[in-house]
Amino acid sequence: MTNEPLSPLIHLIDDDRAVRESLALLIGTVGLRAQGWSDPQAFIEGFDRGGIGAIVLDVRMPGISGLAVLDTLVAQGVDQPVIMLTGHGTVEMCRRAFKAGAAEFLEKPVDDEQLLEALQHAVRQHVRSRERAQADQAARERYAQLSEREREVTGFIVAGLTNKEIARELALSPRTIETHRANLFAKLECDSLAQLIRRYAALVDGAP
Amino acid sequence: MRQWLRTQGGWWLAWLLVAGAGAAWIARAELRQQYEDFEANGRIAHRLMSQQVVQYDAVLATLALLESAPDAGRPEQRLPAVYPSILGVERRDAGATWSDPALAAAETKSRELRRPELASQDFARGRYRLVIGAVPTSYALDIDLAATVPWRDWPMDPKQSPVRVVLERAGQQFVVQPGLPQAVQGERGRGGWHFDFRKVLASDSQAFDLVAQRRVSWRELPWAWMAAWALAMAVVLAGAYTLRRQRIERRRAEELLRLGQVARLNALGELAAGMAHELNQPLTAVLANTQAARRLLDEDPPELDTARAAMQQAAEQARRAADVVGRLRRVIERPAHADEAKPVILQEVVRSALHLLGPELDRRTIAPVFDGAAQAPVSVRAEPVALEQIVHNLLMNALQALDEQPAGDRQLRLTVVRNGEHGVLTVSDNGRGIAPEALPRIFEPFFSTREGGLGLGLSLCETLAGEMGGTLAAESAPPRGARFTLRLPLALPPLRERRA
Repeated sequence: MTNEPLSPLIHLIDDDRAVRESLALLIGTVGLRAQGWSDPQAFIEGFDRGGIGAIVLDVRMPGISGLAVLDTLVAQGVDQPVIMLTGHGTVEMCRRAFKAGAAEFLEKPVDDEQLLEALQHAVRQHVRSRERAQADQAARERYAQLSEREREVTGFIVAGLTNKEIARELALSPRTIETHRANLFAKLECDSLAQLIRRYAALVDGAP
Repeated sequence: MRQWLRTQGGWWLAWLLVAGAGAAWIARAELRQQYEDFEANGRIAHRLMSQQVVQYDAVLATLALLESAPDAGRPEQRLPAVYPSILGVERRDAGATWSDPALAAAETKSRELRRPELASQDFARGRYRLVIGAVPTSYALDIDLAATVPWRDWPMDPKQSPVRVVLERAGQQFVVQPGLPQAVQGERGRGGWHFDFRKVLASDSQAFDLVAQRRVSWRELPWAWMAAWALAMAVVLAGAYTLRRQRIERRRAEELLRLGQVARLNALGELAAGMAHELNQPLTAVLANTQAARRLLDEDPPELDTARAAMQQAAEQARRAADVVGRLRRVIERPAHADEAKPVILQEVVRSALHLLGPELDRRTIAPVFDGAAQAPVSVRAEPVALEQIVHNLLMNALQALDEQPAGDRQLRLTVVRNGEHGVLTVSDNGRGIAPEALPRIFEPFFSTREGGLGLGLSLCETLAGEMGGTLAAESAPPRGARFTLRLPLALPPLRERRA
């Protein structure tokens, strides 16, 4: 999962075969892979949620509306950006799509520049959000290794207290605090105070 | 039945109430009138009879006062000749005796009471005698009751009147006028109303009760008036009912018309959405394929096979789009005209359209000027419905153009003239007019200068005019405004030319 062996995968959901194939061909010209789905339900149940990529969703499909599919994806925590495509977009529909979490709203017939740019932007966004999620995950794992006392000391450091002040707060000697400080910097793999605050402030606040 | 109750029950109930109340009022008024007449007649009869019997008292008193000598020729014997009701006069001089002992008893009583006294009352025969005891001579009158009644002044027709009038005294009854048989009190079983009048005559000596009775039966109520009232109310309510129904019907028709318009707009919207989707799918594929092909050809080396396949796909999808358009045309193409072209008076069509748009014109405070109204009728050859639609659309167009004008300065002018082989209708307004760059495109479908306009109205008008062998032209009308000119072939050549 950390290594992406293949190029990003774009999921194309449209009940029209000609539209799916032509868009897939167009997407292929910029080195992205495309997978077409004619049935929204089959897509929801079968697509690879771990992969890097984006979703292109037609609004008007028989059986289920694209907006309903979008709602389902968001509710299930799917993090791939969704680009809505419609043949007869209204302002109201556009507003609803963005409110529901669509990354982009394009009208058919769509210009290649517009679509490809939107897709590349969406993929970049997705990659970045995945990286951030992974960094968060690593930080959380390292933070979990700290002892109870070390977490306490980390909290005070992030809050801006000096060693002496922390020693007074915890009724310990400044030397002991210094030992804790050295240990927790090593465990959290931080070289500077600034690094510590940037990476772990959120975790300290979240888990007192 | 339930349906009937709901729609008409209330009206019938209202009619029953109004008719019943009115009839009761009429009956009551009639009865009151009858009673007043009855009572007045009773009083008159009482007064007349009282005057008559008092006369007898006066006659006797006069005789007693005269103190005539025994040989004076007995003037009292001439009385019956003067008073037909006095059948005879008997006298008893001092020392003589009455022919009848009853008279003697009455005389004694008369002396005691110092007024004339009644004797031998016989109401069965309509007779009684009145005695006065006096010195030296006492007199007795033999009186006929039937002749006493002053028929000349009598307020009722004794033979026809429904009122029964009797005199009563001491259990005896003299019938003055019989009235109708049911007038007698006691015959209650037959229903109706009973009037009663009873008063003692104003003479102590002849204290007869004058009794008047009358029964008004159900049959005597003013049924004709009551029926007329009920009928009148029925007519009024039926009128109101009809008016109300008509108003409801009209409102329903208007509502249906409005719904129809909304439905048509919705259908139009749905059609547009469907059309957009049906056309956008192939267009999306065409665009994506051609753009993909261009990118493939730009590659080094160019991917010719894939590009060729993409172009093939694009061509197929373009054909698919064409099919969609064709199908759509077949679906919404106007049906072949059911109406035959026939002679139509142009002025009448204009008048009818102006009438239809009356409320719109009033709302916008526009007073249209119609120049052709007074002219000889211009009969053109046209399909009536199509012509109506053209005129209606042209007028609506003008009204919308005039919306931007201040309310006081809105002019709408229509003319109808005969010009060679054509009947010509012009519709001019002083709205904002037609921009020079818009003029050549004004009859193009989907071309509209109005925000939200479909751009089909004028296009349709021109098509319809063309189908009827006519033309529709638009121009700017200086200093401002637009003029539309509709030309249609005349139904018949002018009369002069036909003769020639």
